[in-house]
Amino acid sequence: MEAPKIEDRLTLYKENFASRLLLGTGRYDSPSVLADAIRAAAPAMLTLSVRRQISGSSYAGQSFWNFVRETGHAILPNTAGCFTARDAIATACMAREMFQTNLIKLEVIGDEVNLQPDPYGLVEAAAELVRRGFQVLPYCTEDWVLCRRLMDAGCEVLMPWAAPIGTGQGPRNPRALRELRERAPEVPLIVDAGLGLPSHACQVMEWGFDGVLLNTAISRALDPVRMAGAFASAVRAGRAAFLAGPMAVQDAAVPSTPELGRPFATDSLRLPYQRAI
Amino acid sequence: MFVIVNGQTHPLPEPQTLAALLSQLSPAAPFAVARNAEVIPRGTYEECHIEPGDRIDIVHPAAGG
Repeated sequence: MEAPKIEDRLTLYKENFASRLLLGTGRYDSPSVLADAIRAAAPAMLTLSVRRQISGSSYAGQSFWNFVRETGHAILPNTAGCFTARDAIATACMAREMFQTNLIKLEVIGDEVNLQPDPYGLVEAAAELVRRGFQVLPYCTEDWVLCRRLMDAGCEVLMPWAAPIGTGQGPRNPRALRELRERAPEVPLIVDAGLGLPSHACQVMEWGFDGVLLNTAISRALDPVRMAGAFASAVRAGRAAFLAGPMAVQDAAVPSTPELGRPFATDSLRLPYQRAI
Repeated sequence: MFVIVNGQTHPLPEPQTLAALLSQLSPAAPFAVARNAEVIPRGTYEECHIEPGDRIDIVHPAAGG
Protein backbone atom coordinates (compact mmCIF):
# COMPACT_ATOMS: atom_id res chain seq x y z
CA MET A 1 0.00 0.00 0.00
CA GLU A 2 1.38 3.44 -0.91
CA ALA A 3 2.26 5.68 2.01
CA PRO A 4 -0.03 8.70 2.23
CA LYS A 5 1.44 11.82 0.68
CA ILE A 6 2.25 14.28 3.42
CA GLU A 7 2.22 17.83 2.22
CA ASP A 8 4.51 20.21 4.02
CA ARG A 9 2.28 23.21 4.59
CA LEU A 10 2.60 26.34 6.65
CA THR A 11 -0.38 26.53 8.99
CA LEU A 12 -1.32 29.86 10.52
CA TYR A 13 -4.53 30.03 12.53
CA LYS A 14 -5.85 26.93 10.77
CA GLU A 15 -5.17 28.28 7.27
CA ASN A 16 -2.74 26.20 5.22
CA PHE A 17 -0.26 27.64 2.74
CA ALA A 18 2.10 25.98 0.28
CA SER A 19 4.55 28.88 0.44
CA ARG A 20 6.51 29.83 3.54
CA LEU A 21 7.33 33.29 2.28
CA LEU A 22 5.21 36.26 3.34
CA LEU A 23 5.74 39.37 1.27
CA GLY A 24 5.49 43.04 2.15
CA THR A 25 4.23 45.46 -0.47
CA GLY A 26 6.09 48.62 0.53
CA ARG A 27 8.96 50.58 -1.07
CA TYR A 28 8.64 49.31 -4.63
CA ASP A 29 9.53 51.65 -7.46
CA SER A 30 6.28 51.00 -9.28
CA PRO A 31 3.13 48.87 -9.17
CA SER A 32 4.37 46.83 -12.12
CA VAL A 33 7.59 45.92 -10.33
CA LEU A 34 5.54 44.94 -7.28
CA ALA A 35 3.27 42.81 -9.46
CA ASP A 36 6.22 41.02 -11.06
CA ALA A 37 7.90 40.50 -7.70
CA ILE A 38 4.73 38.97 -6.30
CA ARG A 39 4.60 36.54 -9.22
CA ALA A 40 8.25 35.61 -8.72
CA ALA A 41 7.96 35.21 -4.95
CA ALA A 42 4.66 33.30 -5.01
CA PRO A 43 4.02 34.24 -1.38
CA ALA A 44 1.62 32.78 1.14
CA MET A 45 0.33 36.21 2.07
CA LEU A 46 0.78 39.87 1.25
CA THR A 47 1.05 42.45 3.99
CA LEU A 48 -0.38 45.90 3.62
CA SER A 49 -1.09 48.88 5.79
CA VAL A 50 -3.80 51.34 6.71
CA ARG A 51 -3.16 55.00 5.99
CA ARG A 52 -5.06 58.26 5.94
CA GLN A 53 -6.63 59.30 2.69
CA ILE A 54 -4.80 62.35 1.39
CA SER A 55 -7.10 64.79 -0.37
CA GLY A 56 -6.54 64.74 -4.10
CA SER A 57 -5.51 61.11 -4.12
CA SER A 58 -8.68 59.48 -2.94
CA TYR A 59 -8.47 56.84 -5.65
CA ALA A 60 -4.92 55.75 -4.85
CA GLY A 61 -6.12 53.47 -2.08
CA GLN A 62 -8.90 52.09 -4.24
CA SER A 63 -6.57 51.22 -7.14
CA PHE A 64 -3.99 49.69 -4.80
CA TRP A 65 -6.70 47.59 -3.16
CA ASN A 66 -8.01 46.44 -6.55
CA PHE A 67 -4.47 45.52 -7.56
CA VAL A 68 -3.90 43.52 -4.37
CA ARG A 69 -7.22 41.70 -4.66
CA GLU A 70 -6.50 40.76 -8.27
CA THR A 71 -3.35 38.91 -7.18
CA GLY A 72 -5.62 36.49 -5.33
CA HIS A 73 -3.24 36.20 -2.39
CA ALA A 74 -4.34 36.20 1.24
CA ILE A 75 -4.03 39.56 2.97
CA LEU A 76 -2.30 40.31 6.25
CA PRO A 77 -2.90 43.92 7.37
CA ASN A 78 -0.35 45.50 9.68
CA THR A 79 -0.34 48.19 12.36
CA ALA A 80 2.91 49.70 11.10
CA GLY A 81 3.76 53.10 12.52
CA CYS A 82 1.83 52.65 15.76
CA PHE A 83 3.74 53.69 18.87
CA THR A 84 1.04 52.99 21.42
CA ALA A 85 -1.19 50.04 22.18
CA ARG A 86 -4.21 52.32 21.76
CA ASP A 87 -3.23 53.34 18.23
CA ALA A 88 -2.40 49.76 17.29
CA ILE A 89 -5.77 48.51 18.56
CA ALA A 90 -7.65 51.24 16.70
CA THR A 91 -5.63 50.59 13.53
CA ALA A 92 -6.31 46.87 13.75
CA CYS A 93 -10.03 47.56 14.12
CA MET A 94 -10.00 49.82 11.07
CA ALA A 95 -8.10 47.15 9.13
CA ARG A 96 -10.68 44.54 10.05
CA GLU A 97 -13.47 46.89 9.03
CA MET A 98 -11.90 47.38 5.60
CA PHE A 99 -10.35 44.03 4.79
CA GLN A 100 -12.85 41.74 6.49
CA THR A 101 -10.17 39.59 8.09
CA ASN A 102 -9.38 38.86 11.73
CA LEU A 103 -5.71 38.42 10.92
CA ILE A 104 -3.47 41.25 12.02
CA LYS A 105 0.27 41.70 11.97
CA LEU A 106 0.62 43.59 15.22
CA GLU A 107 3.35 46.21 15.45
CA VAL A 108 3.75 48.45 18.47
CA ILE A 109 7.00 50.32 17.98
CA GLY A 110 9.10 51.59 20.87
CA ASP A 111 11.80 53.65 19.14
CA GLU A 112 11.72 55.90 16.09
CA VAL A 113 15.34 55.18 15.19
CA ASN A 114 15.56 51.40 15.30
CA LEU A 115 11.80 50.73 15.07
CA GLN A 116 12.14 47.95 17.60
CA PRO A 117 9.02 46.50 19.17
CA ASP A 118 7.80 48.04 22.43
CA PRO A 119 7.35 44.86 24.43
CA TYR A 120 4.98 46.39 26.98
CA GLY A 121 2.64 48.00 24.45
CA LEU A 122 2.84 44.90 22.28
CA VAL A 123 1.62 42.55 25.01
CA GLU A 124 -1.10 45.00 26.06
CA ALA A 125 -2.36 45.39 22.50
CA ALA A 126 -2.12 41.67 21.76
CA ALA A 127 -4.20 40.77 24.80
CA GLU A 128 -6.91 43.27 23.92
CA LEU A 129 -7.02 42.29 20.26
CA VAL A 130 -7.24 38.58 21.11
CA ARG A 131 -10.08 39.45 23.47
CA ARG A 132 -11.81 41.18 20.52
CA GLY A 133 -11.49 38.10 18.34
CA PHE A 134 -8.42 38.98 16.30
CA GLN A 135 -5.89 36.42 15.15
CA VAL A 136 -2.70 38.19 16.11
CA LEU A 137 0.71 37.75 14.52
CA PRO A 138 2.92 39.95 16.70
CA TYR A 139 6.13 41.46 15.40
CA CYS A 140 8.39 40.84 18.39
CA THR A 141 11.99 40.24 19.35
CA GLU A 142 13.64 36.92 20.14
CA ASP A 143 13.26 37.63 23.88
CA TRP A 144 11.87 34.41 25.35
CA VAL A 145 9.97 36.03 28.20
CA LEU A 146 8.31 38.48 25.80
CA CYS A 147 7.34 35.56 23.58
CA ARG A 148 5.88 33.71 26.55
CA ARG A 149 3.84 36.75 27.52
CA LEU A 150 2.52 37.03 23.96
CA MET A 151 1.54 33.37 23.94
CA ASP A 152 -0.10 33.75 27.35
CA ALA A 153 -2.06 36.66 25.88
CA GLY A 154 -3.41 34.34 23.19
CA CYS A 155 -1.04 34.74 20.25
CA GLU A 156 -0.77 31.45 18.39
CA VAL A 157 1.93 32.68 15.99
CA LEU A 158 5.05 34.72 16.74
CA MET A 159 7.11 36.83 14.35
CA PRO A 160 10.52 37.52 15.89
CA TRP A 161 12.85 39.91 14.13
CA ALA A 162 16.20 39.00 12.63
CA ALA A 163 17.37 42.62 12.79
CA PRO A 164 15.77 46.09 12.70
CA ILE A 165 13.26 46.70 9.92
CA GLY A 166 14.78 47.56 6.57
CA THR A 167 18.41 47.02 7.62
CA GLY A 168 19.12 43.84 5.66
CA GLN A 169 21.64 42.82 8.33
CA GLY A 170 20.43 39.27 8.69
CA PRO A 171 20.03 37.50 12.03
CA ARG A 172 21.76 39.63 14.69
CA ASN A 173 21.32 37.12 17.46
CA PRO A 174 21.39 33.60 15.98
CA ARG A 175 21.80 31.89 19.34
CA ALA A 176 18.75 33.55 20.83
CA LEU A 177 16.66 32.88 17.74
CA ARG A 178 17.62 29.19 17.81
CA GLU A 179 16.92 29.02 21.51
CA LEU A 180 13.46 30.47 20.89
CA ARG A 181 12.87 27.77 18.29
CA GLU A 182 13.88 25.10 20.81
CA ARG A 183 11.72 26.51 23.60
CA ALA A 184 8.60 26.85 21.44
CA PRO A 185 8.74 23.83 19.13
CA GLU A 186 5.02 23.74 18.39
CA VAL A 187 4.38 27.45 17.74
CA PRO A 188 4.55 28.75 14.17
CA LEU A 189 7.52 31.13 14.14
CA ILE A 190 7.95 33.51 11.20
CA VAL A 191 11.19 35.50 11.09
CA ASP A 192 10.13 39.02 10.19
CA ALA A 193 12.33 42.09 9.58
CA GLY A 194 15.96 42.68 8.91
CA LEU A 195 16.66 39.91 6.43
CA GLY A 196 18.75 41.03 3.47
CA LEU A 197 19.97 38.03 1.53
CA PRO A 198 18.43 34.76 0.44
CA SER A 199 21.13 33.01 2.49
CA HIS A 200 19.67 34.68 5.61
CA ALA A 201 16.26 33.29 4.78
CA CYS A 202 17.70 29.89 3.96
CA GLN A 203 19.59 29.87 7.25
CA VAL A 204 16.58 30.54 9.47
CA MET A 205 14.57 27.94 7.58
CA GLU A 206 17.38 25.43 8.16
CA TRP A 207 17.10 26.22 11.86
CA GLY A 208 13.50 25.11 11.74
CA PHE A 209 11.64 28.39 11.54
CA ASP A 210 8.29 28.07 9.84
CA GLY A 211 8.56 30.99 7.43
CA VAL A 212 9.94 34.41 6.73
CA LEU A 213 8.42 37.80 6.06
CA LEU A 214 10.35 39.98 3.62
CA ASN A 215 9.89 43.44 2.22
CA THR A 216 12.92 45.69 1.82
CA ALA A 217 15.25 42.80 0.95
CA ILE A 218 13.25 42.39 -2.23
CA SER A 219 11.83 45.84 -2.95
CA ARG A 220 15.17 47.63 -2.59
CA ALA A 221 17.27 45.08 -4.43
CA LEU A 222 18.64 46.33 -7.75
CA ASP A 223 16.50 43.72 -9.48
CA PRO A 224 13.56 43.09 -7.16
CA VAL A 225 11.93 40.51 -9.43
CA ARG A 226 15.07 38.38 -9.69
CA MET A 227 15.64 38.77 -5.97
CA ALA A 228 12.07 37.68 -5.23
CA GLY A 229 12.74 34.48 -7.16
CA ALA A 230 16.02 33.99 -5.32
CA PHE A 231 14.30 34.33 -1.96
CA ALA A 232 11.55 31.92 -2.95
CA SER A 233 14.19 29.33 -3.87
CA ALA A 234 16.12 30.00 -0.67
CA VAL A 235 13.08 29.50 1.53
CA ARG A 236 12.28 26.22 -0.21
CA ALA A 237 15.90 25.07 0.04
CA GLY A 238 16.16 25.90 3.71
CA ARG A 239 12.92 24.12 4.49
CA ALA A 240 13.93 21.05 2.49
CA ALA A 241 17.27 20.98 4.30
CA PHE A 242 15.55 21.15 7.67
CA LEU A 243 13.21 18.29 6.74
CA ALA A 244 16.10 16.28 5.28
CA GLY A 245 17.91 16.28 8.61
CA PRO A 246 21.37 17.75 8.13
CA MET A 247 24.46 15.70 8.93
CA ALA A 248 25.94 15.98 12.40
CA VAL A 249 28.82 18.42 12.59
CA GLN A 250 32.11 16.61 13.31
CA ASP A 251 35.20 17.84 15.09
CA ALA A 252 37.58 15.61 13.20
CA ALA A 253 37.82 14.98 9.47
CA VAL A 254 36.18 11.85 8.09
CA PRO A 255 37.16 10.96 4.52
CA SER A 256 34.33 10.66 2.08
CA THR A 257 36.40 8.47 -0.25
CA PRO A 258 37.04 4.87 0.89
CA GLU A 259 40.50 4.11 2.21
CA LEU A 260 40.52 0.58 0.82
CA GLY A 261 42.25 0.26 -2.53
CA ARG A 262 44.19 3.50 -2.51
CA PRO A 263 46.78 3.27 -5.26
CA PHE A 264 50.41 3.38 -4.17
CA ALA A 265 49.43 2.82 -0.53
CA THR A 266 52.17 1.19 1.51
CA ASP A 267 50.92 1.84 5.04
CA SER A 268 48.87 -0.61 7.06
CA LEU A 269 45.11 -0.41 7.07
CA ARG A 270 45.15 -1.02 10.79
CA LEU A 271 44.54 2.45 12.02
CA PRO A 272 44.45 3.70 15.62
CA TYR A 273 40.79 4.66 15.24
CA GLN A 274 37.83 3.11 13.45
CA ARG A 275 37.20 4.21 9.91
CA ALA A 276 34.41 3.29 7.55
CA ILE A 277 35.86 1.74 4.40
CA MET B 1 -17.47 74.86 14.25
CA PHE B 2 -14.31 73.00 13.34
CA VAL B 3 -13.35 69.39 13.33
CA ILE B 4 -10.00 67.88 12.42
CA VAL B 5 -10.09 65.48 9.50
CA ASN B 6 -6.90 63.53 8.88
CA GLY B 7 -4.92 66.09 10.83
CA GLN B 8 -6.31 69.10 8.94
CA THR B 9 -8.79 71.60 10.32
CA HIS B 10 -12.13 71.27 8.58
CA PRO B 11 -14.95 73.78 9.05
CA LEU B 12 -18.45 72.52 9.62
CA PRO B 13 -21.32 75.04 9.41
CA GLU B 14 -23.37 73.11 11.95
CA PRO B 15 -23.30 69.90 13.97
CA GLN B 16 -24.03 66.89 11.79
CA THR B 17 -23.75 63.15 11.61
CA LEU B 18 -20.67 61.33 10.43
CA ALA B 19 -22.76 60.11 7.48
CA ALA B 20 -23.37 63.71 6.39
CA LEU B 21 -19.69 64.58 6.76
CA LEU B 22 -18.64 61.56 4.71
CA SER B 23 -21.12 62.38 1.97
CA GLN B 24 -19.43 65.79 1.68
CA LEU B 25 -15.91 64.32 1.67
CA SER B 26 -16.79 61.37 -0.58
CA PRO B 27 -13.91 59.07 0.35
CA ALA B 28 -13.33 56.30 -2.18
CA ALA B 29 -14.12 52.79 -1.00
CA PRO B 30 -12.78 50.87 0.72
CA PHE B 31 -12.24 53.08 3.76
CA ALA B 32 -12.65 53.01 7.51
CA VAL B 33 -13.35 55.82 9.93
CA ALA B 34 -12.32 56.57 13.50
CA ARG B 35 -13.66 59.37 15.66
CA ASN B 36 -11.31 60.38 18.47
CA ALA B 37 -9.37 57.14 17.89
CA GLU B 38 -12.49 54.97 18.22
CA VAL B 39 -13.46 53.06 15.10
CA ILE B 40 -16.97 53.78 13.91
CA PRO B 41 -18.44 50.64 12.32
CA ARG B 42 -19.88 50.94 8.86
CA GLY B 43 -23.63 51.01 9.14
CA THR B 44 -23.61 53.27 12.22
CA TYR B 45 -22.45 56.46 10.50
CA GLU B 46 -25.98 57.94 10.72
CA GLU B 47 -26.02 57.45 14.49
CA CYS B 48 -22.60 59.03 15.04
CA HIS B 49 -22.86 62.73 15.86
CA ILE B 50 -19.86 64.94 15.28
CA GLU B 51 -18.89 67.35 18.07
CA PRO B 52 -16.71 70.47 17.73
CA GLY B 53 -13.04 69.58 17.94
CA ASP B 54 -13.57 65.91 17.06
CA ARG B 55 -10.62 64.21 15.39
CA ILE B 56 -11.79 62.18 12.42
CA ASP B 57 -9.45 59.73 10.69
CA ILE B 58 -10.45 58.31 7.33
CA VAL B 59 -8.10 55.56 6.17
CA HIS B 60 -7.67 53.39 3.12
CA PRO B 61 -5.50 50.43 2.10
CA ALA B 62 -1.86 51.27 1.48
CA ALA B 63 1.38 49.47 0.78
CA GLY B 64 3.46 48.22 3.68
CA GLY B 65 5.64 45.47 5.08
